[in-house]
Amino acid sequence: MIEPAAILSGLIVGILFGFALQRGRFCMNSAFRDVLLLKEYTLLKAVIVALIVSMIGFHAMASLGIIQLNPKPFFWGANIVGGFIFGVGMVLAGGCASGTTYRVGEGMVGSLVALLGYMIAAVITDVGALKVVKDYLQTNTKITITNPGPLVSPKANYPTLANVVGIDPWIVVIVIVIIGVGVLVWKRGGREKTEGSIYEKIFKKGWPWWATGIVIGIIEIIAFPASAATGRNYPLGITGGWSSFLNSLTNGDATKLSWETFLVIGVVIGAGISAGIAGEFKLRAPGPGRLIQQFIGGLLLGIGAVIANGCNIGHVLSGIPQLAISSIIFGFFVIIGCWITAYLLLMRR
Amino acid sequence: MSGELKPTETLDVRGEVCPYPDVMTQKKVKSMKSGEILEVLVDYPLSVERIPESVKKMGHEVLKVEKTGASEWKILIKIK
Repeated sequence: MIEPAAILSGLIVGILFGFALQRGRFCMNSAFRDVLLLKEYTLLKAVIVALIVSMIGFHAMASLGIIQLNPKPFFWGANIVGGFIFGVGMVLAGGCASGTTYRVGEGMVGSLVALLGYMIAAVITDVGALKVVKDYLQTNTKITITNPGPLVSPKANYPTLANVVGIDPWIVVIVIVIIGVGVLVWKRGGREKTEGSIYEKIFKKGWPWWATGIVIGIIEIIAFPASAATGRNYPLGITGGWSSFLNSLTNGDATKLSWETFLVIGVVIGAGISAGIAGEFKLRAPGPGRLIQQFIGGLLLGIGAVIANGCNIGHVLSGIPQLAISSIIFGFFVIIGCWITAYLLLMRR
Repeated sequence: MSGELKPTETLDVRGEVCPYPDVMTQKKVKSMKSGEILEVLVDYPLSVERIPESVKKMGHEVLKVEKTGASEWKILIKIK
């Protein structure tokens, strides 16, 4: 049974995360798609900043013995197939796992419909009719390593960029940070500051990309030890939260509830508060055709994320900073799926 | 050219999510003639910030971005 302290901690981190997602309009669907569609790099830069901040933070905390890194299992077939399906799904759903979740808090009915599809498909793939597909891909393409290397939990015998070549993780971190900063300098521009008082800048205006990235990176750093204290040794995630939510609701089994369940509930609340203060909350829905499209997109998000054992938050935002190979492969195929679908759906004709 | 800004056409993208408001606006703008004014009704915060940016990049003029209600905005674009 989950402790009240874990519920509170999950909710608080979730509210902070939801607030930052809404203020920063932080959505990886938009971030990846805009690069192709609009030649626009602003949100991608926010993602890069968040990755850099959490990568340094995670490794610093692991070096100090506060946490042990916990890269996700590497099953290449599941990571590739799941990533691709997830990438297709997020374009149809009009948002990734976190984007869809925070927009529910803004009152977007289309995103609520997508979220329902996402939850249902996550449970179906996790414990239901599609479990066989997930199990097949996960067991038959799994690759483990014998020595996880320094800073990593000894139980997590999965490949990272550092342990596959047997070098110090910090060397990899420094190289990636240099590349990331290089991209930020190369693609300069985008909204760098906003006008108004401090209050208006924080609560009324959309945040500049660098502020969004730093704040979300810091929330990742808070999330890791907060979640680990409840027995879940991992930073932010979305999919596990929603599937456990629906799972416990339908079978009455409260043991499935975790820190992550309350995190996702907190995200909706936090985004709702943020949108409410800024005058951006409204119940609104697109036409019926688009609603169906978003529902199907949501189903694909759920199937993809559970097959791959993580979504754009669990894998991309939380896994890549831990240098997990599984998360990097997943992220790559999310982008491929996203670009192909965005091209077919939005760019042709 | 007084304060009277009468839109030639109106595009209502309320209720739509990412990226439809942006994409539909771009398509509409491309189909219109020079000097015409497009009014876009939008309720999606990210697009309110991004449509003016992308339209400016395309070389058109953003006349006004006005908040018309709870999470509702009106964007006026003059086609160049």
